[in-house]
Amino acid sequence: MALLEVKDLKVYYKTLRGCVKAVDSVSLNIEKGRALGIAGESGCGKTSMAMAILRLLPVNGKVYGGLVMLDGVDILSMDDEEFRESVRWKRISMISQGAMNALNPVHTVGEQIIEAILTHEDVTRSEAVRRGNDLLEMVGIHPGRSKDYPHEFSGGMKQRIVIAMALSCNPDIVIADEPTTALDVMVQSQILKAIGDLRNALDLSLMLITHDLSIIAQTCDDIAVMYGGKIIEYGSVVNVYGNPKHPYSIGLLKSFPNIKAEKAPIISMPGSPPDLLSPPAGCKFHPRCPLAKGICLEKEPELAKVHPDNHRVACHNTDMLKKGTDIWNQ
Amino acid sequence: MVYSRYLLKRLIYALMVLFIIITFNFIIFRLIPGDATKMIIDPKFTSEAKAELKREFGLHEPTHVQYIKYVGNMIKFDLGISFSTGRFVINELKERLPNTMVLFLTSFVLTVVIGISIGVYTASKQGTFSDGFVTGAGLFTYAVPAFWIQLLLLMLFGYYIPILPVHGTISAPQPYGLFLQILDRVHHLILPAGSNVIVGFGSWALYTRNTMLEALDQDYIVTAKAKGLKENIILRHHALRSVLPPIITLVFGALPGVVSGAVITETIFSWHGVGKYLTDAIMMQDYPAAQGAFYLIALAVVVCNFAADIIYGFVDPRIRIGEGGKE
Amino acid sequence: MNKYQLRVETGVMSFWKRYKGKPLGMIGLIIVIIYVFIAIFAPFLTPYSPKQILLADRIAAPLWFRYVIPKYNNAPQTVTIGFDSPLYEIKDMPVSHIIEYNYSAPKTFSLTFDCWVNAPFHSEAGFECLIKTPEGREYSLWGKSYSSDSDKQVVRIDSRDLGLKQRLGLTIFEDPASKIFSSRGDYSLIFRPNPGFGDTSTRLYISNVKLHIPGLVHGILGTDHMGSDLWTQLVYGTRISLVIGLSAAVISVAVGTAIGIICGYLGGVIDEFIMRAVDVFLAIPVLPILIILGAILGKSIWNIVILVSAFAWMNTARLVRSQTLSLRERIFIEAAKASGGSDIYIMSTHILPNVLPLVFASMVLLIPTAILTEASLSFLGFGDPRVATWGRMLHNARGFGAFTTLAWWWLVPPGLAITFLSLAFVFIGNTINEIFNPKYRERL
Repeated sequence: MALLEVKDLKVYYKTLRGCVKAVDSVSLNIEKGRALGIAGESGCGKTSMAMAILRLLPVNGKVYGGLVMLDGVDILSMDDEEFRESVRWKRISMISQGAMNALNPVHTVGEQIIEAILTHEDVTRSEAVRRGNDLLEMVGIHPGRSKDYPHEFSGGMKQRIVIAMALSCNPDIVIADEPTTALDVMVQSQILKAIGDLRNALDLSLMLITHDLSIIAQTCDDIAVMYGGKIIEYGSVVNVYGNPKHPYSIGLLKSFPNIKAEKAPIISMPGSPPDLLSPPAGCKFHPRCPLAKGICLEKEPELAKVHPDNHRVACHNTDMLKKGTDIWNQ
Repeated sequence: MVYSRYLLKRLIYALMVLFIIITFNFIIFRLIPGDATKMIIDPKFTSEAKAELKREFGLHEPTHVQYIKYVGNMIKFDLGISFSTGRFVINELKERLPNTMVLFLTSFVLTVVIGISIGVYTASKQGTFSDGFVTGAGLFTYAVPAFWIQLLLLMLFGYYIPILPVHGTISAPQPYGLFLQILDRVHHLILPAGSNVIVGFGSWALYTRNTMLEALDQDYIVTAKAKGLKENIILRHHALRSVLPPIITLVFGALPGVVSGAVITETIFSWHGVGKYLTDAIMMQDYPAAQGAFYLIALAVVVCNFAADIIYGFVDPRIRIGEGGKE
Repeated sequence: MNKYQLRVETGVMSFWKRYKGKPLGMIGLIIVIIYVFIAIFAPFLTPYSPKQILLADRIAAPLWFRYVIPKYNNAPQTVTIGFDSPLYEIKDMPVSHIIEYNYSAPKTFSLTFDCWVNAPFHSEAGFECLIKTPEGREYSLWGKSYSSDSDKQVVRIDSRDLGLKQRLGLTIFEDPASKIFSSRGDYSLIFRPNPGFGDTSTRLYISNVKLHIPGLVHGILGTDHMGSDLWTQLVYGTRISLVIGLSAAVISVAVGTAIGIICGYLGGVIDEFIMRAVDVFLAIPVLPILIILGAILGKSIWNIVILVSAFAWMNTARLVRSQTLSLRERIFIEAAKASGGSDIYIMSTHILPNVLPLVFASMVLLIPTAILTEASLSFLGFGDPRVATWGRMLHNARGFGAFTTLAWWWLVPPGLAITFLSLAFVFIGNTINEIFNPKYRERL
């Protein structure tokens, strides 16, 4: 049984202008020790899904259906207090977008790392402090700096502190939402390496949310590509990157230059992400898809297996694709 | 340390303000049309007496000499003699200052504490009733004339349902026994302080609520929630704590306004304090008394502002420790 | 310039369209318009002038209390009977005039008339002035005999005169008015010649008779301690409040914006100096300073306006300055500078329009503060005693007996007037803020 199972999750936001279907029936699994990358453009629902799992949706957002099971237990219907005590941070923790803002400027970093420990575990303060220092060392920051304030660190260091913070209670899963977006490339690779090392050392499961496909390639085992609130392609990184089946995934992969391949023009997909207030009928991608045909405008495709190894695609045209066809350059 | 440099800067600034106030005091009371000596010497004296006093007070000396002596006097708290009572102004002020302090502190502390508490409480309850209540209360404070509410309350509880005293700080004659005397003072304090609180808590509540709501939107609050911290710990330890510096600044920034309010309150309730002393003195054209009272009031405000700077610098670690990332 | 004009126009039109949709803003606007209307048409809304006194008894209750509060069911209204023509010539018949009095007893009354005598033959003649009650009792108020010509004499009889009380046989504590006018019905005011008058050729002339019985209820809001109509004072008070509010707002905005832009844009020594000065002034308690300055410079209403405005511009200046500072760094300013625009040009055509929305809202929100400051000053007694403002009404109420007479109708209306006007401006200001500055939008 998978550690984390998401089944048909639906998250809607109520806004002044109508109902936004941010997550429209999403299902995925994460096994123990595996890393799943969630890829997609901004606004495709990745962060909303993560927030839904941690039950941190804003006031106007609500889970309208579906289940989230942690070790077989439905955590969405859990009592608030129980969820807060037993699941939050202890079993699922988060590295949020923009570490600069995840740290409270008026408290020391040490304080912020150990407060979670003190809340969830019955240890003495000195024990918590010791663990906090260990965590800092693990991410490469001198433990003596635990008494310093966030504004005294650089961006990369802050991000590492946030990682240390996320691991403070030895969670089973860490959800990392764009952990490196605000950082420059050098620091980015350091952070990714740190995450990778920690994953191996602690046998962590990881849900890595990003729009940067190269990061997923570097760190994850599996990948789910999201578009318009739905998963449109799902499978292992090897399969999806080697043999992408959905026109959108193909386009995404092609928009990153391949340093090893011959020089080829980088394509961009025309159009823009769908308006989730009034999404197009049928397949949400059809207005931009070069392969769109009649059925695409009427019926939403289901995620269906196209390849052994659990490689699944939601597209009416999967049989039309042969490896190597350049659908975007026709 | 950066903090001490910051404090020094604020201290110099405070002294500058004080200096300007003294100068202002000096100039303004000599601007009264007519005989400038009216400021110092009671016009009711005979002209020989006036001439002699003139020499004694040094009014025959050139203005800049007078000025230097004046500054010296102010620093020494030698504030002259009241025209109406003939006593030293400083003594009259000393008598009244405790009363003003009591009224002022009670009103202000209660208003701020109650206001902020309500603000914090309603920040977590975004229901319509508490929202409307706090917004209404804030509006009330801003638009309704405070002294009018005080008058209405005075009429209601002093005359219509006469349960509270209508004037004075204590009864005359005072009751016998320390306990009763204290009770008597509290009894007299209820209306002035209470009315101040009713009129004032609204804007504190509203401001706190709004700032808290802004703070609660911050990412570090979402992170704190994700960490599984308890709700009220998040509210107090994280949200309120980061919101404290601007609130504290505001608390002390509100001081000049509260002082003005105190003047009015003291007048309405005939409270034997410095504010009423000021208005009475001006009414009676008792200029030394007015100068002295104004000086004291302004001095208090300067001191409070400086205290605010100290506390604000302490509370915000960015000032206490200084900017600059250490790698 | 045509393109500019079109843009500005659509700006204004679209602003108004958005403004119309906000209920609170519209309410505020309507209230302000009502007040302005009252201010302009004040003379039509009340027949009295605020300076008129003795319209009724002191601290009389409003007229309509008669119908609403049992205690006042038959409270007397002011009865003023005046007849100055015809000229009464008294020969041998008394002259009388009927007075209808259908209320409960008044507290005072006064009677004045002119009389003169033409006595060619120096014979003694005299007359009496009396009031006859509906039951037939007569009270002699005044009497005099003449034996020679006399010039026109103005006779004043007041029910508080000790002489009258003595004449009527009352002690000094008794009240002639309530004794005489104790019942309801028709009274007569009689000028009766003494017996034997007719035999003479003396002629007595009476004219300009005025009987004034101040009522215990009067007008829409009653009267103050001088018998002056409170509704009139309230209505005329709108003028001052509006004038002060608007002047303070306009001056503070004009001065504050100019200084704010100059400091923010030019920076340097000017900025340092002015901002330090502003900091100092903001640190000083406003009311004590205003009281002192007012006392020294004189209690005229214009002084108050200037003083209030003098302190109001500082916050605007600060606000504008910080806005200017952030605008200054924007690219379009660099572009303007690079294309050779002078400082003044940049400040007026680029910075000013961007700063105006912010300023607009804070200007409107400044008005209640100005009105309240003036009210406080007047309330403490440091306002202009000749001008009827709401603050002064409250001052009078407190100082001249509203409390002891429990005259809440004196205390409540002025405060309400201030409150509603302030609220109206707050609503308008908040609405403007909502439209122009999304940062200030109310939370959901």
